[in-house]
Amino acid sequence: MNPVNKSGVIVRKTLIATTVAAVLLAACAAAPLKPDGAVAVRSKLTQLQADPNLASRAPVAIKEADAAVSAAEQPQADKALGVHRVYLADRKVEKARAQAETRFAEDQRDALSAQRESARLDARTREVDVAKNQADVAKNQADIAKNQAATALVAAASSEQEAMELQRQIDVLQAKVTDRGVIVTLGDVLFESGRAELREGSAGNLNKLVAFLDKYPDRVVAIEGYTDSVGSEDYNQALSQRRADSVRSYLVRQGINSARLTASGMGKTDPVASNESANGRQQNRRVAVIINNPPTALR
Amino acid sequence: MNATSHAPRGALARTAVGVTGVLVLAASALFVACASTPPAPTASLQAAQLAIANAEAADASRYSGEELGEARTKLASADTAVKEQRMSMAERFAEESRADAELASAKSTAAKAKAVNEEMKRSNNTLIEEMQRSGDKS
Repeated sequence: MNPVNKSGVIVRKTLIATTVAAVLLAACAAAPLKPDGAVAVRSKLTQLQADPNLASRAPVAIKEADAAVSAAEQPQADKALGVHRVYLADRKVEKARAQAETRFAEDQRDALSAQRESARLDARTREVDVAKNQADVAKNQADIAKNQAATALVAAASSEQEAMELQRQIDVLQAKVTDRGVIVTLGDVLFESGRAELREGSAGNLNKLVAFLDKYPDRVVAIEGYTDSVGSEDYNQALSQRRADSVRSYLVRQGINSARLTASGMGKTDPVASNESANGRQQNRRVAVIINNPPTALR
Repeated sequence: MNATSHAPRGALARTAVGVTGVLVLAASALFVACASTPPAPTASLQAAQLAIANAEAADASRYSGEELGEARTKLASADTAVKEQRMSMAERFAEESRADAELASAKSTAAKAKAVNEEMKRSNNTLIEEMQRSGDKS
């Protein structure tokens, strides 16, 4: 401003001595010089204003810096004042840059947060997927176990049913369940006294036995003949053997595999009643059919 | 500041001389101008002190120690200049001190903001890496 004033003075005082004019002109020629460093600080500011990341992020500070740089660019006769203004301008440009950088960092934070969220979401999704897979596996296993349980239940139910059926069959045969198996005792009504041929009316009893053996093909059968104590041992032994054989052949004729059947004469051993009475002796004359428990049933 | 306060004063003096032509007024104006030079640049000094306090609060001693030191030195120089009655010099020192302190604050804030971002980037990368690692496993 001073140089302007001075040039005004020059204009007004053109009529005054040329020496004065020359001195003032010399001052005028020196005046347009910008203070040292003004160009550098302007270029610093221009650089900041050209930075796309920073230019718009500190508008107030950049405006202040611009004003300070403009002030610093004013030609200055007072050299110290010129240096002072350049210094202030430089500080303000630096301050504006720092503020813009702060704002830029803050603005980047949104993107960083978004990135973090998306990373977290990915991690969560992955976790959920893994958990879901594990849950699926567990569910499959549970389903399998459930199926197995159902199968076992069905098996249990069917074996229970089988057991009930077996019991029913045993009841039909009027058989006795023992450790050796099911024992069906065929009384001496099957045979004529002293003979080993089956009576005609005995087929009904024996056919129940055939039906039973048909139903349980894995059971083997021991046929044992017994007599009372009347008569010699040899006679009774032979008679009991022939009676057992008769029963066996009948069963074979009815289609029972002979390999399942063994026949043996036990004579007068193992009486089931007293041989003193006629009634007791009648009970002792018998054929016992022992239907062994199947190998599986022993388990 | 200096330049602008000088200019109106000069203009006032000129008009007074030009318009009234009364010497008494000119003399009194000059007297006032002379008497007004000594006051200490209190406002500038206080502004510098405040700016330094703000910079300290912004951890400038940690993030921008050089500028903060400069601000303190200049404030001390300003105080010295006031004692020596060199008020215009005191004002320049005070202004520069304030500019230094404000820069120190701005730099500290920027450094902290950048540190936060770096930390976020680091933790994001860790998260992504961990995920890729667990992704490789499964």
